[in-house]
Amino acid sequence: MSEQNNEYTEADLAEMSREEKARLGLALDDVELVEYRDNWPVKGTRAERRAERFTAAWFALAGFSALAFVAVFIFWPWQYQDPLSNQKGYFLYALYNPLIGFFLGLSIFSVGVGVVLYSKKFLPHEVAVQQRHDGHGSSEVDRQTAAALLADAGSRSGIARRSLIKRTAGFGVGAFGLGAGVFAIGGVVHNPWSSRGQESLLHTGWEPDGEKVYLRRDTGNSKDVSLLRPEDIDAGGFETVFPFRESERHNEHALSEAMKKGDAPVMLIRLRPGASPVKRQGQEDFNYGDYYAYSKVCTHLGCPTSLFEAQTGRLLCPCHQSQFDVVHTYAKPVFGPATRALPQLPITVDEDGYFVAKHDFIEPVGPAYWERKS
Amino acid sequence: MTTTKKRNRAGSKLRRRISGVLALGFALAGAGGLYTMLLPEPQTAHANADPALIRQGERLYNTTCISCHGSNLQGVKDRGPSLIGVGESAAHFQLSTGRMPLVRQEAEASRKPPKFSPEEIDAISAYVQEHGGGPTAPDKKGSDLRGGDPGRGGQLFRLNCASCHNFTGRGIAMSSGKYAPELEHASEQQIYEAMQTGPENMPKFSDRQLTPEEKQDIIAYVKSVTNNKNNPGGNDLGGYGPGPETVIAWVVGLGALIGITLWIGARA
Repeated sequence: MSEQNNEYTEADLAEMSREEKARLGLALDDVELVEYRDNWPVKGTRAERRAERFTAAWFALAGFSALAFVAVFIFWPWQYQDPLSNQKGYFLYALYNPLIGFFLGLSIFSVGVGVVLYSKKFLPHEVAVQQRHDGHGSSEVDRQTAAALLADAGSRSGIARRSLIKRTAGFGVGAFGLGAGVFAIGGVVHNPWSSRGQESLLHTGWEPDGEKVYLRRDTGNSKDVSLLRPEDIDAGGFETVFPFRESERHNEHALSEAMKKGDAPVMLIRLRPGASPVKRQGQEDFNYGDYYAYSKVCTHLGCPTSLFEAQTGRLLCPCHQSQFDVVHTYAKPVFGPATRALPQLPITVDEDGYFVAKHDFIEPVGPAYWERKS
Repeated sequence: MTTTKKRNRAGSKLRRRISGVLALGFALAGAGGLYTMLLPEPQTAHANADPALIRQGERLYNTTCISCHGSNLQGVKDRGPSLIGVGESAAHFQLSTGRMPLVRQEAEASRKPPKFSPEEIDAISAYVQEHGGGPTAPDKKGSDLRGGDPGRGGQLFRLNCASCHNFTGRGIAMSSGKYAPELEHASEQQIYEAMQTGPENMPKFSDRQLTPEEKQDIIAYVKSVTNNKNNPGGNDLGGYGPGPETVIAWVVGLGALIGITLWIGARA
């Protein structure tokens, strides 16, 4: 395309109309417009005006629904209403989400429809044919000159000579790249043993640390301290419990955190009278009568295994359908992908009649990890 | 001398006997009175229900329940469990949800239209309560059983109930064909009684574990998320959470996008 340009002088260009220039530009690229037809050769017909109004209506709809979106977003009652006590208020509240979605969606949709309609109805119908350039692509001259141009620009910038700048720039950009990389993958790298070494996986909040650890229930209010006594649970009942220490009684943060730690939840199960599960070696005295306490964290991948079947005495894990039998065994897995029994928490009752943990679990709770032996 | 002595002795003997009888009588009456005053309310055999109702309940029991639960509520081996200690609460739950009378022995008794009228259910429940004792039905009925704090009820529901019944009470499959039922059709009283008595494989939640107020808050929560309530999106897509939502987004949403794209391409 380079040589042809010289055929047109400044005077030639000045004489050409805009349309001619456009055609020339296409011709220089070896593109020929076979058909280039105006959709409305006769201006101002009724059909044209109707098409115009139709397209405009979609754009107007887009505008109005966008305004409606803004109005609903700002003025509609969005605050939660209780459906039991305030039916009408709840109905209005429940419309908030669908309405903002509807109006914003309608607005975007209408803009899209308007643009498509405009291009269909009013843009000229064109069919263009472009010649294919078979052969060796750019000529040898073009290729060598282009490469020389780049190399020349590089050498004239002087970066090759100024090694101080080259090195500091390399350092700066490289460090920035390193920072971006750390930012991207840093959150994925987590050392679970950074605080207490490998020990941290072996201990939970149930470790007495010289202080009595009570079994505490969740009443829905983390400031409530409600401790368990044996008579609280009926035979065939079970309850999720969390560790509590007397020193935490007035520490709201600790009270709330105790119920949020992943390895803390324990299921206290009261079997029906007459059940005598096989006990695990070394855990013969972990139960208190018919009361057995097991970690709620599945040994497969750590889901809460709290689907308790009171008659069959099975604990189900909802994630991968592992089942643990507590009425015949020490919560051994009897079905599903879990391979280890749920860790048992040794419990007893103190002199005041409250459940307490005798000591921590004797094995890590939850799923296996690389360094775990069994 | 001897005769008077004898007579005296006889007289004093009589006096002593009378006073002894009186003392014994007072002591017995006192002990009995104290006993009745101090004895705690017995756990079984409340005689406060209407005798006619109990008689009607007995008749119904003897014609429908007796073959599996025995003539004295003691249960029949391999057929039905003992009903001693289950209380009117369990009887009302099982009968009013249609689970009893059972069609056949299987993994889970399903909810079906109750076979008895509400009056007949009350009669059988009163009979079971009279002869077996156990937890009694709540005093309040209907929407009065909804507590005032559905928010706390939701917390407790997610902790104690949601693992099996799903967080909006839709239920889930359990082991070997059993399932936790959806709570949409359960009345307030039935939910309360289920927590009290632990039907089938459900654990019991005693009043010391979940107080009556906490139970009522849980009922308020269940009632405020079932039956299409608390559903700001318009359609809850089954209430099972992100699973069906993802399927709908991919199949319906992406399907519509692809369809529109194809349509635009075909028209151009």
